[in-house]
Amino acid sequence: MYGKMVKINLSNGQIRREQIPPEWIEGFIGASGLAARLLWDRLDVNRSPLDPGSPLLFATGPLTGTAGPTTGRFTICGRSPQTGWWGESNIGGFVGPELRFAGIDFLWIEGVSDRPVYLWIYNDQIEIRSAEHLWGKADTYQTQEIIRREVGIPQVKVACIGLAGENLVPFAGILSDHGRLAARTGMGALMGSKKLKAVAVRGTQRLVMERDEEYRKLRVASNKRLLEQNMTAVLRSTGTSGGAEYLQYLGDMPQKYWTAARFEGADKISGATMAETILRGTTACQGCVISCGREVEIEQGSFPTNGVVKGPEYETICSFGSQLMVDDLAAITALGDLCDRLGMDTITAGNVIALAYLLYGQGKLTTKDSGGLVLRWGDPEPCFSLLRQMATKEGLGNLLAQGSKALATAYGDEDLAVQVNGLDVAMHDPRAFSGQALAYVTSPRGACHNQSDYFNVGLGGTVDEIGIGFTDRFSPVGKGEQVARHQHWRTVCNSLTTCYFAVVSPGEILELLNAAMGWDWDMTTMLKAGERAWNMKRLYNLKLGWKPENERLPRLLLQPLLDGGQEGNIPDLSTMLEEYYRYSGWDRMSGYPFLWKLEELGLKDLVEQKYGDAVL
Amino acid sequence: MFRFPSDEWIKAMMQDLNQSQSYKEAAKNWEGDFYFIIEPGGMLTETVTLYMDLWHGECRNAFKVEKLDGLKPAFQLKGPVSVWKKVMTKQLDPMQAMMTGQLKLTGNMAMVMKNVRAAKELVESCTRIPTEFPL
Repeated sequence: MYGKMVKINLSNGQIRREQIPPEWIEGFIGASGLAARLLWDRLDVNRSPLDPGSPLLFATGPLTGTAGPTTGRFTICGRSPQTGWWGESNIGGFVGPELRFAGIDFLWIEGVSDRPVYLWIYNDQIEIRSAEHLWGKADTYQTQEIIRREVGIPQVKVACIGLAGENLVPFAGILSDHGRLAARTGMGALMGSKKLKAVAVRGTQRLVMERDEEYRKLRVASNKRLLEQNMTAVLRSTGTSGGAEYLQYLGDMPQKYWTAARFEGADKISGATMAETILRGTTACQGCVISCGREVEIEQGSFPTNGVVKGPEYETICSFGSQLMVDDLAAITALGDLCDRLGMDTITAGNVIALAYLLYGQGKLTTKDSGGLVLRWGDPEPCFSLLRQMATKEGLGNLLAQGSKALATAYGDEDLAVQVNGLDVAMHDPRAFSGQALAYVTSPRGACHNQSDYFNVGLGGTVDEIGIGFTDRFSPVGKGEQVARHQHWRTVCNSLTTCYFAVVSPGEILELLNAAMGWDWDMTTMLKAGERAWNMKRLYNLKLGWKPENERLPRLLLQPLLDGGQEGNIPDLSTMLEEYYRYSGWDRMSGYPFLWKLEELGLKDLVEQKYGDAVL
Repeated sequence: MFRFPSDEWIKAMMQDLNQSQSYKEAAKNWEGDFYFIIEPGGMLTETVTLYMDLWHGECRNAFKVEKLDGLKPAFQLKGPVSVWKKVMTKQLDPMQAMMTGQLKLTGNMAMVMKNVRAAKELVESCTRIPTEFPL
């Protein structure tokens, strides 16, 4: 039965097991949707995200580990140290499935240990072990290897933090396997604040679905269909950065810290070029037929890899490539690898460094500030020093580690930072797809493409079955409703947890979910659960002080780029927001869902019970 | 007016491509011949296969395939005639058609993803050919 939770208090070593109420599961499905409901009860606006009482939640979904289409994923949730708002970070690999094989669907960690520790979970045995020999000494790959040797079981899976998490860098991530990172919103810092270096897990139980044979047939058929998709073939051949040339052509790929329309080097750093030059193999998350992970090797030149390392994903080739005007795939590979070892989000790290380059180019930031580093567009060399300094909070890195907003503010121009609600904008320029601007500003975790990848709809990834069709990519018309619907659908995906790269229809997902859980839901019920979870995250942020005024784009994204694929477009946010609020049933003034919407979603009592009528 | 899909039509396109400077530039790195497979719809009652040999910005050969044995092109692009019409009349972006599986592609994906502009220029060429569709 799905919903088994283990709660560990690292302050006193107490370990408890609970069953999540079935009505909560039916309300919010699982993973980050259900996590929002669970963490709501613990939300205290007066408590800092890094307070020992702030929980860290490893949350699997009801399909995690079931070998369904792209179901190897899980989510890590908590209040974000980076943004102060709702935090969640999705991660692939094998740790989520392994947790479920050990009989754990949710792992709730609170308190703080008096010394560095790691958790060793072997089926129903849970042990808190010393990590003093790892803390400050072992990078994320070394940590996995050392723990694997210590527990003596080669199949053990490890999720761990690096130096960045130990040093509470607000955009530190949690890494598992070969470069699978829960990168965004700083869950690694939350883990580091608890003095928790790693979670190691091995489970041997078989997951049994409620309608097991039906599920088996459905997942086999669904994986077969997925394997036949063109999109799967592209990802398998060229990885997530395979579309770089296309995205550059459309103006989606950001360049020179969001200030340039063209980057002639895009074809030198794309997944297609990677496939033709340095690719040595591919990797997949548990049970995934796509296999988008890259394994690369560079034997010669300035950045040899000394063996096979993870190849950079799309976001990383932008972060350390186009954003810095670097067209050296070897350098980008090395910087991505360094970020993984330090346990840092490449999107934020790359954005912050690119902002430093911009400030340097403007003559505001000088070599005096940078300790002699010359931050010239196209030169990747200084990034190696800056990344290490950020992870250890030394030199200019100490300021950079506070994020782009802090960096811009330090140089007297806070709005120069391309971030929304504290999270640096993902590598999809909203000027290329207006709807993505709306998705960014309304996302509960800031400017993120993993609450809604609406830009994909503009690329042709429509979901016609649930009324998300193709529209003009620049026009604001109809985007309010379309983006809201897309967010509800993607919240279902995030609650399961499935990967956005999988072209799997809502109808297939509904059948899989019903078979897994023994339900007989229709499409409306499933999408309503997505909407409910979306509103739950909204309520979480509203309680923390979120206002409609927060929903805006930074200055640089409101300046047109005329000579590229964006064709000078500026997203008409106010038109889209009006329609979005109307469709969502939210009050434009307060930002709260209307009472009728809360009643419709079954959330009214929950809100009243905790906060009374005042907030409504 | 050229009827699509026919031998006359694909030869007209070959001629147009070889006169296009913008195609020559966009496809300068392209290597690989194609089967364009057009599945029935409307007045088109049977599947038609067109062949094109595209090489570094040049179309070296093009014809309607009468027998499928013998040739082994590097790429195949397959779909209903209704989708082909949408692409050729610019109602549907060729990359979108491909990524969403409306046109099924087999072949070296890395080569395709690196040559987005060449695909766009192929469509531009289609729009220049006076075409009669069987729909």
